[in-house]
Amino acid sequence: MKAFEMRLPASLEEAIALLPTAEGDESSRLVAGGQDLLTELKHHLVEPERLVNLKSIPGLAGATWGSDGSLTLGALTTLQDIYEDERIVTTFPALAEAARSVASPQIRAVGTIGGNLNQRPRCWYYRAEEMVCLKKGGRECFSQFGRNKYNAILGAGPSWIVHPSDTAPALVALNASVEIVGPNGKRTSSMQDYFTLPSSGNVLRETTLAPNEVLTRITIPAPAKGSKSTYLKFKERSSYDFAVGAVALNLTLDGRKITAARIVLGAVAPTPWRVEEVEARLIGRDLNDETIELAREGALAGAAPLSENGYKVPLTKGLITRAFRAISRS
Amino acid sequence: MSPSNREADVVWKDRKDLTLLNTDQVRLDGPGKVTGHALYSHDIRIPNMVYARLVLVPYSRTKLTKVDVAPAAALAGVVHAEVWDGGKEAVQFLGDDSVVAVVAAETPELAEDAARAVILEFEPEDNPMVTRGQVTANDAPRLRQGRRGGPNVEEDGARGDEEDVLELLATADGVVEQDYSVPIQHHVCLETHGCVVHLEGGKATVYPSTQMVSDSVGMYASMLGLSQRDVRVICQNMGGGFGSKFGAGLEGLAACRVALAVERPVHLMLDRRQEFLMAGNRSGSTQSYHAGASKDGKIVALKATAEKYGGMGGGALPTPPYIYEVKKRYAQVGSVYTAMDANRAMRAPGHPQASFGMESVVDELAYSVGFDPLEFRKLNLDSEVHLRQLDRVALEIGWNEHPNRKEPGKPDADGMAEGIGFGVSQWGAGARPGAHCEVRIEADGSVTSSVAVQDLGTGSRTYVAGIVAEELGLPLHGVTAKIGDSVLPSSVASGGSVTTGSQAPAIQDAAVQARRALEAKLVDAIGGEVDAFTWKNGEVANADGQKLSFRDACALLGGETLTTMGEFQPNLHSGGAHGAQAARVRVDTLTGHVQVLKMVCIQDMGLPLNRAAVRSQINGGMIGALSYGLFEERVLDHDFGFMLSDQLEDYKIAGIQEMPEMVAIIDDDDDFSTTKGVAEATGIPGHSAIANAIYNACGARVRHLPMTPDKVLAALGRS
Repeated sequence: MKAFEMRLPASLEEAIALLPTAEGDESSRLVAGGQDLLTELKHHLVEPERLVNLKSIPGLAGATWGSDGSLTLGALTTLQDIYEDERIVTTFPALAEAARSVASPQIRAVGTIGGNLNQRPRCWYYRAEEMVCLKKGGRECFSQFGRNKYNAILGAGPSWIVHPSDTAPALVALNASVEIVGPNGKRTSSMQDYFTLPSSGNVLRETTLAPNEVLTRITIPAPAKGSKSTYLKFKERSSYDFAVGAVALNLTLDGRKITAARIVLGAVAPTPWRVEEVEARLIGRDLNDETIELAREGALAGAAPLSENGYKVPLTKGLITRAFRAISRS
Repeated sequence: MSPSNREADVVWKDRKDLTLLNTDQVRLDGPGKVTGHALYSHDIRIPNMVYARLVLVPYSRTKLTKVDVAPAAALAGVVHAEVWDGGKEAVQFLGDDSVVAVVAAETPELAEDAARAVILEFEPEDNPMVTRGQVTANDAPRLRQGRRGGPNVEEDGARGDEEDVLELLATADGVVEQDYSVPIQHHVCLETHGCVVHLEGGKATVYPSTQMVSDSVGMYASMLGLSQRDVRVICQNMGGGFGSKFGAGLEGLAACRVALAVERPVHLMLDRRQEFLMAGNRSGSTQSYHAGASKDGKIVALKATAEKYGGMGGGALPTPPYIYEVKKRYAQVGSVYTAMDANRAMRAPGHPQASFGMESVVDELAYSVGFDPLEFRKLNLDSEVHLRQLDRVALEIGWNEHPNRKEPGKPDADGMAEGIGFGVSQWGAGARPGAHCEVRIEADGSVTSSVAVQDLGTGSRTYVAGIVAEELGLPLHGVTAKIGDSVLPSSVASGGSVTTGSQAPAIQDAAVQARRALEAKLVDAIGGEVDAFTWKNGEVANADGQKLSFRDACALLGGETLTTMGEFQPNLHSGGAHGAQAARVRVDTLTGHVQVLKMVCIQDMGLPLNRAAVRSQINGGMIGALSYGLFEERVLDHDFGFMLSDQLEDYKIAGIQEMPEMVAIIDDDDDFSTTKGVAEATGIPGHSAIANAIYNACGARVRHLPMTPDKVLAALGRS
């Protein structure tokens, strides 16, 4: 990798002052666990002059519970610390399951929740230095007509990447919000609105985060009474893999009756893919096979597969079925 | 060389008398490997060493307009930068031909910077020539030019009478007509290819990661312009070869050239991406079968047409039918050449590919005539050994209690289904002459067993000591093994599973000679006859029961060192390995995920020299086949001729979560009067058994590897 300067700021303000202001300026980058950034550096996908290490700033890691039962996670909380927290496991199973499903134990021990949300795509073409694809300032998304087994079937175009994060769909399903600090202070965003589609946002990025902003905290509201959540990830290789399809499901039940639902698909679209119109149709219905079929078929109704990824449609339907059944049994 | 005349009276001990061979022995190289003390070629560090690195063009076919190494040479710390082979106008294929420059620097990081600083200007050709369609297009150029030139698609020639076969097929009770395919697979050696070359004072020591220590000397001598007597090759540990590490390769040649140019030690190992691009592969193939069976369970006819995909190589595939008996066959096999690196030998070249096609057809035929696939196999196999072995794995996998033996099962309410499948293997193994072994015994009881043979991680180091220890009644650690160094007595290359069959007899020969020489001393000391002493528990006894400790026996040598040289003894080895495997899988019919629950493999090998090492070999074969069956595949962009699966994230191999319960069975019914290599046969049929188990579970016949969810769902009719 290219040599770089490592800065250890003592405060967020200091960190932000070290970041570039102009869109597209990659000369300075944030680093926390480094599990995605290091691979980008090694493969020369980015070659910053300077890394700004968030680990030197106090107070960015750890879980804090609000008196109302909400949970706030510092962006530097490691994935391992999330799924080893018993209260998180019982209160927000979808998040704990998502964190546990990431990569390998070594990566989960250092990889952070903030980094997991901000990681870059895994598309073969994006990760190949020589391929100047749309995501890297080129004119074409090569996966559209090239090799696309792992690419998007929903919400795609003009780029067909899938968002690789496991925790993102879980957090969208749990109605989380994020705190972002920039030169002009704090702003908050829903987790869902944090992610941008290539058709509506900057195709070079996957989120609304500006080059000189830092994602600092994630807050999950207290679960409603009767709510149950789960995250089901499908890996081609169980030992260590990114998702080929995933479902984060958060249902609130009154007996068997669904009173609230959030269904978010992972690894099938350029963002965590929430199917709000399907969620709305489930309200008031009993949780039974008919409802599951409605959810499964509705969620994938708009799928537009490419030449090699049509299997993601039945696969994701299978996962949705399993996720609903898991909640039904729990 | 000719076999020695000792062959008549050098034999292996009787099975009942063995105390070390045919038992579990902890490998001598184990502690060094698990503690990190074992040094591989990658780890060699020599004072004043430089790190060399190759520069590759990433596309399969390009016109080259510029290769400028000056910017690299100008970097601080860079000691060498040269255009490879004086330059060329075009890159013709992805692989060795992609190499356009070589650089060397004081550190690996600087070498990488230097490689990136080389200015390349090129223009990809319109036709990247990486698919069958591309190489058979009207305007496609010939990939192979010159003396070994030929068309891009070449037939090997047909065998059998097609009309006879078609006639029989027309009257068969069950007929299968299907296409099968296997992709190009990589060896994925954990240690990439390369070497360290230390040239000093007109002599060289080379540390390659190699499957052949002795035979490497001549190659490196020639590349360095030295006499063979001035070249020493050392490989103490190696991180995987699987058939891909015989020659020095272009990387070895580059290391030698840089060493000659800079007159400093040179370290040149491929990086992971280069390993995928230019370190060889197992050829892929497409296989079309039209086969028929009679209702009494016999395969009556088979028509097979197959193509091998070995890049610039011809590929490997035994002519069908593979192993099974067929009354009439017609087979036509050909090669499709593409602009990628040539296939190399990889664990039983051609056999795992042939196994997948043939075992699938056999399985499909069995169900087509309503037969239990196990019974159908037994009706169509010639070897009694296979029949015995199939029964054993069937017992172990639970076939007799399995509910779906004549037709596939159905998924349960949750979409899960379990099934069992089978496959068999055969492999030549055997031996190659040329192995030696020197045994030295000192008066203080020190025993050394020395030979240049390499240990690919499979256990040769341990039996180099173990065979001598057995003969002299010593514990394993009573003998010091010296291997992996060309100054030691020469040995054979490790290919075709011949190492054990070639090397073990030479060790036994040296051991028996040493024992007899000591016995000649004992005759004078305590009386008795040569060949009538008992060596056991560190003691030797004559027929009357008079004993000496081993050390006291050695003291009879006085000031002399006893040295014997063993040679290959043909009567101590045999060829022809047989195996059978069974797999039990769980198929998730909602997602297409396949979990292998259990695999069973039985293998014959004559006398097992170290039962623990042999079981590890068998486990390794099952793991390799599982990975081949479920995950591994070279992926290229066809428009660019660009490899996409060039890292271990994208080229998936099985990991710990994929490991099934594995039962490795040594075939103790085999004749123990000879020994043979066990390696390659174990990797032949596992993936076939898994494919057959998937069908048996749920009726999804997956005819194309790897059996990833997309293919399983397609076979289930769900996408």
